[in-house]
Amino acid sequence: MAILEVTNLKVYFPIKAGIFNRTVDYVRAVDGVSFVLEEGKTYGLVGESGSGKTTTGRAIIGLEKVTEGKIVFQGKDITKKRARTRELNRNMQMIFQDPYSSLNPKKRVLDIVAEPLRNYEHLSKKQEKMRVQELLELVGLSPESILKYPHEFSGGQRQRIGIARAIALKPKLIIADEPVSALDVSVQAQVLNFMKDIQKELGLTYLFISHDLGIVKHMCDEIAIMYKGRHVEQGTKEDIFERPQHIYTKRLVAAIPEINPRHREKQFQFRKEVEKEYDAAYDDYFNKDGLAYQLQKISDTHLVALPEKG
Amino acid sequence: MEMNNINVVDQVHDPTKSPSGLRILWKEIVRDKLALVSLIFLIVISLSVFTISLVLDQDEIVKVDLFAINEPPSEEFILGTDYGGRDVFGQLIIGTRNTMLIGIAVTLMSGIFGVAFGLIAGYFGGHIDNALMRVLDFFQILPFTMLVIVFVAIVPKYTIFSFALIFAAFSWMGIARLIRSKALQEKELEYIKASQTLGTSHPKIIFREMMPNISSLIIVTMTLNLANNIGIESGLSFLGFGFPETTPSLGTLLSYAMNPQTLEHRWWIWAPAAVMILVLMLAVRNVGEALRRATDARQRRG
Repeated sequence: MAILEVTNLKVYFPIKAGIFNRTVDYVRAVDGVSFVLEEGKTYGLVGESGSGKTTTGRAIIGLEKVTEGKIVFQGKDITKKRARTRELNRNMQMIFQDPYSSLNPKKRVLDIVAEPLRNYEHLSKKQEKMRVQELLELVGLSPESILKYPHEFSGGQRQRIGIARAIALKPKLIIADEPVSALDVSVQAQVLNFMKDIQKELGLTYLFISHDLGIVKHMCDEIAIMYKGRHVEQGTKEDIFERPQHIYTKRLVAAIPEINPRHREKQFQFRKEVEKEYDAAYDDYFNKDGLAYQLQKISDTHLVALPEKG
Repeated sequence: MEMNNINVVDQVHDPTKSPSGLRILWKEIVRDKLALVSLIFLIVISLSVFTISLVLDQDEIVKVDLFAINEPPSEEFILGTDYGGRDVFGQLIIGTRNTMLIGIAVTLMSGIFGVAFGLIAGYFGGHIDNALMRVLDFFQILPFTMLVIVFVAIVPKYTIFSFALIFAAFSWMGIARLIRSKALQEKELEYIKASQTLGTSHPKIIFREMMPNISSLIIVTMTLNLANNIGIESGLSFLGFGFPETTPSLGTLLSYAMNPQTLEHRWWIWAPAAVMILVLMLAVRNVGEALRRATDARQRRG
């Protein structure tokens, strides 16, 4: 069952100029994006910085105003801010990118993790404390740390506090905005595996925003590649990594580092080839503004942005 | 990851473990000897002024005594008497108390309103910010001194409180502007966004999440404002638009110096008040400057 349906989502930011501060143009951060999230799956949103992936996530959770399009969550249209009932908001939570600024430095861990509980569930002080301790244990932190402040934790621990806060209300959908990009590699695996574990345990759906293809390959069932606010390719993990159709995706996949040093030379040649192909075929895959075309279906799961003539 | 339990328990009771803004402020004051002396001086002055003024009878002091006009300092009158035969020392004590009370009241009232105004404007941004800032601009272009003088003339009988209220109504703009600019920065941080997605209401985010994070700026600005407000009150009283002679303040004492005879020959009437204003303002300012430095890590001495 589809838990989230995004249709032709557009988020434009006005550029103001002149003495009257009139809107002269727009930054088209998200420019017509459509996708469907199935319950219990992990959907990856990949793209270079500035491609609009974070803005997409923020628009879905309501931190960014939607210019056009439609967002349907659990069968309800939540495009308009007013249509977001408390109950719907409760079922959608977010894990933030930067574990250093996403926790209020003046609050204790107890107050941070209990914030959603205080808003939605009216628990006694004792119950609340117990729930917070359970949550901390779930994310692998010692329950004694409830009285500490965020700065007393490492980056990975802080991110896990952020995750504990996001899952406190047992949401259905979690938007994970580059949840590990601020962490060092040894901690990344720890946090990612943990996210996978709680996904099974709580039946979560993830919208996983990342620029790291390796991580996306590890985490996601379905993947969309974003470029300049548009999707260039969309499909299952296998579609994207084994049968990339769009030249941009090919180039991206070719850029994944090869661990085996014996293949280094081969990989280098392969990348050069892809680069050449990219330069040669650029005009075929992008329109005159350098934007991707509309998505065309090439199989049941696989969509690629190709010009109309195919 | 596992901290041992003893440590955890210790940290709970040890406030040094938090990045407490208050502690940084305190450290900076201790490091800056001038500020520390100023702070001690302020505490001593306010304690003594408030305790002595409890013993003194204001009505007795402001009573005109024609048999003791303009007496120089003596054993009976430590700082002599003024042209109405009133004890200058008593007036100085009560005047200092009144001036400080007004300064504090004005700072608190304008501070609370200004902070709330600035936080709301900065947090919501957009049209609300625009509208609120235009209101602020309007207040800012009003001629402050003239309006206070007019209000003081209109209000028939004013007390410390009503005077402070009038005063505060025209002095909240600076702090509001400052807090707004800080709030504009602060609201872009992710912990504010996180609170929004967690379903916390706007007032709660503004006053419980955002305000504690700019508390040091609030404390610093209010301290510096206090020094200003003491000065402005004295100035108004000096011009005769503060309190009447029956309610002494440092400014009214100072205004006796407008009489050339007093200025030249009876220093004991105005000099102590002048010194008191100067020293009070300097001391508050020194403390404020130390606090201001503490909020900027690059300027810290401690």
